[in-house]
Amino acid sequence: MKKHVQPVDKILLCSLCCLLIIGLLMVYSAGTALGEDAMQDPYYFLKRQFLFMAAGLAAMVVLSRTDYRLWQRWSPVLLIGCFILLVLVLIPGIGMVRGGARSWIGVGAFSIQPSEFMKLGMIMYLAFYLTRHQKRITSFTKGLLPVLILIFAAFGLIMMQPDLGTGAVMTGTCFVLLFAAGARIRHFFILGGAGAVGLAALIVSAPYRLQRITSFLDPWSDPLGTGFQIIQSLYAVGPGGLFGLGFGGSRQKYYYLPEPQTDFIFAILAEETGFIGAGFVLVLFGVFLWRGLAAAMTVPDMFGALLASGICGMIFIQVLINVGVVTGLFPVTGITLPFLSYGGSSLTLLLAAGGILLNITKHRTSYD
Amino acid sequence: MRVSFVTVRKRLFFILAAGAAAVVILLLRLAFVQFSMGERLTELAQDSWSRDVPFEAERGDILDRDKEVLAGNVSAPSVLAAPQQIEEPEQAAARLAEVLGAPEDKVHDWLTENQSLVRLSPEGRKINKEKASKVRSLGIEGIYIAEDSRRHYPKGSYLSHVLGFAGIDNQGLTGLEKYYDEQLSGERGNVSFFSDAKGQKLENMAEVYEKPEPGKDLMLTIDADVQSIIERELDAAEALYQPDGALAIAMDPDSGEILGMSSRPDFNPENFRDVPPEVYNQNKPVWSQYEPGSTFKIITLAAALEENMVDLENDHFNDPGYIEVSGTKLHCWKKGGHGEQTYLEVVQNSCNPGFVAMGEKLGKDILFDYIDQFGFGKETGIDLQGEGTGILFDPENVGPLELATTSFGQGVSVTPIQQVTAVAAAVNGGTLYRPFIGKKWIDPESGKVISSRTPKAKEKVISEETSKKVRYALEHVVAKGTGRGAFVDGWRIGGKTGTAQKAVDGKYLENNHIVSFIGFAPADDPEIVVYTAIDNPKDTLQFGGVVAAPIVGTIISDSLSVMGVEKRTNQVEKDKQWDDETLVETPDVTGKSLKQLHQAYYPFQIEKEGEGNIVAAQSPQPGEKIKEGGVIRLYLDDKSTSSD
Repeated sequence: MKKHVQPVDKILLCSLCCLLIIGLLMVYSAGTALGEDAMQDPYYFLKRQFLFMAAGLAAMVVLSRTDYRLWQRWSPVLLIGCFILLVLVLIPGIGMVRGGARSWIGVGAFSIQPSEFMKLGMIMYLAFYLTRHQKRITSFTKGLLPVLILIFAAFGLIMMQPDLGTGAVMTGTCFVLLFAAGARIRHFFILGGAGAVGLAALIVSAPYRLQRITSFLDPWSDPLGTGFQIIQSLYAVGPGGLFGLGFGGSRQKYYYLPEPQTDFIFAILAEETGFIGAGFVLVLFGVFLWRGLAAAMTVPDMFGALLASGICGMIFIQVLINVGVVTGLFPVTGITLPFLSYGGSSLTLLLAAGGILLNITKHRTSYD
Repeated sequence: MRVSFVTVRKRLFFILAAGAAAVVILLLRLAFVQFSMGERLTELAQDSWSRDVPFEAERGDILDRDKEVLAGNVSAPSVLAAPQQIEEPEQAAARLAEVLGAPEDKVHDWLTENQSLVRLSPEGRKINKEKASKVRSLGIEGIYIAEDSRRHYPKGSYLSHVLGFAGIDNQGLTGLEKYYDEQLSGERGNVSFFSDAKGQKLENMAEVYEKPEPGKDLMLTIDADVQSIIERELDAAEALYQPDGALAIAMDPDSGEILGMSSRPDFNPENFRDVPPEVYNQNKPVWSQYEPGSTFKIITLAAALEENMVDLENDHFNDPGYIEVSGTKLHCWKKGGHGEQTYLEVVQNSCNPGFVAMGEKLGKDILFDYIDQFGFGKETGIDLQGEGTGILFDPENVGPLELATTSFGQGVSVTPIQQVTAVAAAVNGGTLYRPFIGKKWIDPESGKVISSRTPKAKEKVISEETSKKVRYALEHVVAKGTGRGAFVDGWRIGGKTGTAQKAVDGKYLENNHIVSFIGFAPADDPEIVVYTAIDNPKDTLQFGGVVAAPIVGTIISDSLSVMGVEKRTNQVEKDKQWDDETLVETPDVTGKSLKQLHQAYYPFQIEKEGEGNIVAAQSPQPGEKIKEGGVIRLYLDDKSTSSD
């Protein structure tokens, strides 16, 4: 076995670039009506997204040239930083409320969502922790429990904003990491069982919760309430058919579908470009996952493998939930579609994570 | 560490496989939503995008048998507003309010309503063309003019009960408008424009025009000329007699087609609210039911002839002025009776005891069987709302007395349409038709006949031979008997008078009768049957032969002329010609009550003066000769001055 520093994985880079280009186009198309209406500028969202992307790409280039092993050392500091931000954002006057959640921190356009950063911070720290304490991972009390406490501390802080979507993605990503790191399957079953019992208790204590959860199964039972967004999303996806209504041809973006440029951008994509376009994007995400995990499998060190799989897991879980919501498979949560949805914090952070992933691909080993 | 790293790789491979499976699942779900659910979702989505500007279907016209329009439409557009598209509601409201004549703040409320489409009702509903074009010329974005129409009845109150009327939404509310509402109303269309969730027009999607399906035109069996004659005669009768009500029906006896139908009081369908609801809700010719009186004797006659119970010329009947049935004396209307008569004379004289004899010969089973076959006691099935059935004696409870009174038309209750239908069967050769008014459905655009109704024969009630005898007898009634008021030279009119007693709370009213006449012509081959009833005519002897017979005579003769029927030459000559100077002796009526006068039959016109029920004096004096049909003036008092 030889070890080389190789060029970045071109397939991974290529799929990422494709997604970014499609994302820009869709942000433009989906955002015209709202941009025109709210800002008297149909290019409003495109322009801003372009700026975010430039910043994100700069971060990506820098990070793809930064040896990922650097993060092993810095991860505890970064995690503490993220925790501090998560606490700060909850303080009125520092954290800003947008869309009913106190999730933003900063000034005006230069504001960030600490929970987005926590996702990456947690991935780095867990990759570091699980690499260092690998032998303990098979033990529930000594290995798993401290990690679980850490995860739930972060989850709890995020839920205080509240931001269930981001919290869920972060927790899901952590479990992917624990699974990849070799935690016992039995422990997962125990955790799963405990989770199910907890969920059942919540439902028994307040049966309306069950209705809220299951309303997505039949959104037409409450078309103006809980079912509204799903119905409007399906009204976009369904008429798209095989080829779609053509670029710019969406009708649902005209105020029928809330947030067409962020959480429901995939619905507009499916409406305008049909199964061909939407399916292509799904395949691109599949390719991204494949190349990312391939890097994780071939990188020589445990930290690199866990970091890569954590980043891939985070991105893919978001895709899964977002597309699931848009097509009516999941209840509405409020998760953006990675690389496509409009949003500064999300995009720059994802591109930064992409840069780290690209750097890891440089360290893949080849077997003869 | 190495061993463990293998585990990690295995786990990663598992994650990759799960991820690939997830992508496949999402693709399948996407395909399911876009292909399998796609069509249904597209429909639902289109509904949610489109805003319909309704395009009312033109209601079908109602025409007479010669396509004269009896009910049509006039253009009356409606104004609609799409508030989201109106840029300056204040200014728009001010301008619109001025044109529509509506309060400005009300218009402003409409234009700012949180609705995708608002009807400006009532001020902007069914306005006239001039107003509509003014609204259009305002050029306000978001204000739409929807084509609409208002029902119009060009002949006013003409045929009003039969036509009925349609409401503001062009929905049939009474009469034929209601009975045939479905076919007349057609299907509404619309112009759909696609809009965003805020109600603004989506420019990149074309408007879709869904054509309204116009209602079909309904051609009636009504002959506008015959109807005009009927309306004219009822107006004249109303002016002359100030009756409580009046009605007339004309029917083609060979098909059951209604040629004309009218009643008083009437109303203008466009202002139906001006009259009480019972006026427009009750179409008396089919709705009202009352004791028919002597017109019903035609049924008894037809049955007796069909059963060969009597020979008109050779069988005789002696009328002493009454007939005793089960110990009760049933009096003839003529005091002292008609004496020895042939049965033809029994019919001519409308002699009650003679008809009781006929009924007795038939027996209750046969007579009631005929009454049933002639269609009494049940709806005729005419295509009009609110038809009555009439009331007959329950055959179980019919004793000799009930049989006797039924024979001359008392104690039964029938509708005018039943009588017309039954008499038509008696004179047309014996076939009972189901009467009808709706003749054809016509495509309003091509003018082609879509469907036409053929006459429906329900029963063969009597033979052609019997029918001929009935016509013969009834022609004699008009030429020589009680019906001579209906005689018009050359038309061979046959018919029968009727004077129906009105029963209220089980008692007959005094001096309050429905006088009627049913006639047909020509007697050799009847083309028309006409029935007229006048309810409680004032200042006249309430007798069918005096009041109703001349009206029917006029309706029949005028109608046959406009229908193009030839006059006949071989008529049964009238006993005394109309313009004869033949004089008759004036009877002595002093001391008689109006009731007695009424029960008698005098071929004179009566003029009453004074208050009271008893004739105190008369002019001319008894014994003086005056012209038949001339005027006798009676001075009334409550006390009799003669010692009669």
